[in-house]
Amino acid sequence: MAALVGQRIPRVNDARLLCGAGRFVDDVDIPRVSYAAIVRSTVAHANVTRFDASAAGTAALVMGPDELARRVRGGLPVLWVLGDQTSLHTPVVDLRVKYVGQPLGVVVASSRALAEDIAESIVVEYEDLPVVPDIEQALAPGAVLIDESRPGNVLATLECGDSAADTSVVFGSAPRQLRRRFHIGRLTGVPMEPRGIAVVPDAHGKLTVYTSTQSAHAVRDGIAEVTGLAQHRIRVITPDVGGGFGLKDHAYEDELLVVLAALELGTPVKWIEDRNESLIATTQARDEIHDATIAFTDDGRLLGLQVESWRNVGAQLSIFGGGPLFAALGMMPGPYKWQAVRGVGRLVATNRTPTGAYRGFGQTQAALIREHMVELVARELGVDPVALRLQNLIGVDELPYTNRAFITYDNGDYAASLLRARALIEREIAAVATPDDGRRRGIGYCVYVQLAGVGPSNINQMLGLHIGGHEGATVRMERDATVRLYVGISPHGQGQETTFAQLVADRLGVAIEDIELIYGDTDVTPYSAYGTAASRSIAVGGGAAIVASDRLATKLRAIAAEMLEANPDDIVLGHRRATVVGTNVAVDLSQVAERANQGFGLPAGITPGLLESHQYDPESATFSYATHACQVAVDTETGVVEVEHYVVVNDCGTIVNPNIVDGQIQGGIAQGLGAALLEEVVFDDNGQPLTTTLLDYLLPVESSIPQIVIEHIETPSPYTPGGMKGMGEGGTNGAYACVVNAVYAAVPEIGAVDCVTPLSPSRLWSLLHEASAR
Amino acid sequence: MNERVVTLNLNGRRARVRVEARTLLSDALRHELDCKGVHVGCEQGACGACTVIWDGQAVRSCLALCPQAEGATIETIESIATAGGNLHPVQRAMREHHGLQCGFCTPGIVMSLVAAYRSGATADQAKHDVLGGHLCRCTGYANIRSAIDAAWTERDHG
Repeated sequence: MAALVGQRIPRVNDARLLCGAGRFVDDVDIPRVSYAAIVRSTVAHANVTRFDASAAGTAALVMGPDELARRVRGGLPVLWVLGDQTSLHTPVVDLRVKYVGQPLGVVVASSRALAEDIAESIVVEYEDLPVVPDIEQALAPGAVLIDESRPGNVLATLECGDSAADTSVVFGSAPRQLRRRFHIGRLTGVPMEPRGIAVVPDAHGKLTVYTSTQSAHAVRDGIAEVTGLAQHRIRVITPDVGGGFGLKDHAYEDELLVVLAALELGTPVKWIEDRNESLIATTQARDEIHDATIAFTDDGRLLGLQVESWRNVGAQLSIFGGGPLFAALGMMPGPYKWQAVRGVGRLVATNRTPTGAYRGFGQTQAALIREHMVELVARELGVDPVALRLQNLIGVDELPYTNRAFITYDNGDYAASLLRARALIEREIAAVATPDDGRRRGIGYCVYVQLAGVGPSNINQMLGLHIGGHEGATVRMERDATVRLYVGISPHGQGQETTFAQLVADRLGVAIEDIELIYGDTDVTPYSAYGTAASRSIAVGGGAAIVASDRLATKLRAIAAEMLEANPDDIVLGHRRATVVGTNVAVDLSQVAERANQGFGLPAGITPGLLESHQYDPESATFSYATHACQVAVDTETGVVEVEHYVVVNDCGTIVNPNIVDGQIQGGIAQGLGAALLEEVVFDDNGQPLTTTLLDYLLPVESSIPQIVIEHIETPSPYTPGGMKGMGEGGTNGAYACVVNAVYAAVPEIGAVDCVTPLSPSRLWSLLHEASAR
Repeated sequence: MNERVVTLNLNGRRARVRVEARTLLSDALRHELDCKGVHVGCEQGACGACTVIWDGQAVRSCLALCPQAEGATIETIESIATAGGNLHPVQRAMREHHGLQCGFCTPGIVMSLVAAYRSGATADQAKHDVLGGHLCRCTGYANIRSAIDAAWTERDHG
């Protein structure tokens, strides 16, 4: 076997992207296309009393809320139902405005500029309602209700882990306890390519949709529900997609307005979101408060963790509802042994942009809460935080291990990752002299276990998730032994064009350039409810590709054996040939493929053609883990934090391409670091967004990011074919917690009451001044 | 409608385009002149995805109106190399060091780096001053720094 798996192979699709020949949604040439602009609410809470487009003039089409509502057949689905949640759909248009940026209408014109001019000319009048700007005011007695059917603005209450009774037994007898409140800032994912959609109706009633999405089938399903069109009449195609990070996991209301406009006109319509819209109308993330209590013994044994949580879901639930909070509570136990872990979460409605999936999907917050509480215990007891962790980690021999939220981890060596990370960070710090510059330094750690490779389908159903956890692949060999691999997952930076080719080439005995990945086309590719999301493409989608390829390889060996008068078990595939093991008796795979496709002289029981499909439903989710450690330097005069050294020891099972795994870790760290130190979506008390440009919403830049030392442990998953575990979100989880912990280690006086993120320079400066005033 | 005819030296050829006076250079390049490698990420000059080389200088094409470029020599990513041809050393290093993921910000970063590479800027200037002016959400920048080191080593010692 050529053993392409594990090689640092440069990506096969990069030359195109490097030469500006990528084809993103706005690059797709569509004859006779016109351009849409979205009319959005400028207030956070109101009833719309007038939508007047009489000044619209030269528009091809203007549709306001009434016209749109008449054409809508259903709402957008909420696919995760948790606790006492009643909302299963969200409206596409609503005369009740619940956040700034909510789509109210659509304008179509011959150019984008003209469409935007006309949209601005439309007069919308509102009857203002009291604004519920944040969690505290939503929960206050007498607060106006955003959803009148839900008392107290709580859209659902969910529980996770041990029962209240069992938990109180553990906490009642615990020698020591500590409490902290966590304020988790609101973020947004900021893919560099904003959203966009081009809708092309044809004369036969078929709709072709090009859109920047992670999940073509999810978009198709949303369009079908809203328009009432049959699913096979809708073809959703994803061209190149410029980042997603969880935000592009469903069809949005404004995108549906574009679909309705194109159906009305019967001609193609394109809409490309601008950055301002992206920062107010694309789902945001987090915005949570957590009250955590940890119970422990005098000698450092961790006993229990209780968390009461409130997540600001914004004006309405988005597609995965309270899923991120549920995932946070489910993975709160992390890599430690506890006697009780209990979480109670509440989904709180406010007049802010809806929150949804974002890289980490709640597990990032779980890592911070747990790892920060553990560091507080170490500080309280005066012990080394690494030693305290080692004392409480789940051991190699204790895996598989079921955590207190009934999630069973697979395998690995958590302590080995921690010990190696400590050695590496100490080495990095010792390698350069620390300048005597007056800055205060601290070291932070995070050990996490990441729920990845989500499935199996039956568990999804048990957890209230309305989509299955399987993935499909079809592999087809052409007459010249080149291969097409059709998959339900779809890349937007993760490099599956390369990694999936590595997986399959090894098995079929062909070269990497012989394989083309076909993805993101609902007319062609296998159904996938997720697309690429949730760190599951390589584990679950890769599993499907492996099973389908192995079947095809078996067939190739059978036909080659017939041609070579050998036993199929003795046929080896490699170097584009089928060879009798230990001999130079061989036949070109193209000859085998030609015979299979002709159907001439095939062995008994072998059907003509070379096409195999498999829909793979995993036996279990997979669990990557890692330790992240860093040193920060805090300038107490300015509040600016520099991350000076950063190390990671990661185990994501079998590594298909180390370049890509390291790239995912580095990119994830940048996002976690941004969440820790820079990024925050801010609203004022009237629900007006204040971070509406990339000059207000601060992303990490080159100078924010240190060189990162990455090492791997490779413990293949016992469950997935190929042993891959999935890891795309892990870097985010580790970085957020370890950077925050390092800052609190450097300036512990700011942590006397609450743990607050982001620790932006201005916030940190204020916290330092408040602490010195105490 | 206030229209202008603008003449550019675009990617080594004379190009004439009739646009509304308010048309951004980035939009004219993309939609009128078929330079779709000019990517628009923010239209506020913050992200750098739309960077082109204008009379030898890296410039954000979303911050200029097309008529302001009258008579200018403009290079876009399409002029640097074709996907099947010989990549520029910056592009080659980006590929070898996995300096891109989704690839949306990439053309702008390549254009700024190509301008710096030609101008004699040092690797440190390229890594910090030049790359520091671009936003990339996927890579975390570290691999782009590695690519710059490799490309500059080739330039200076190749």
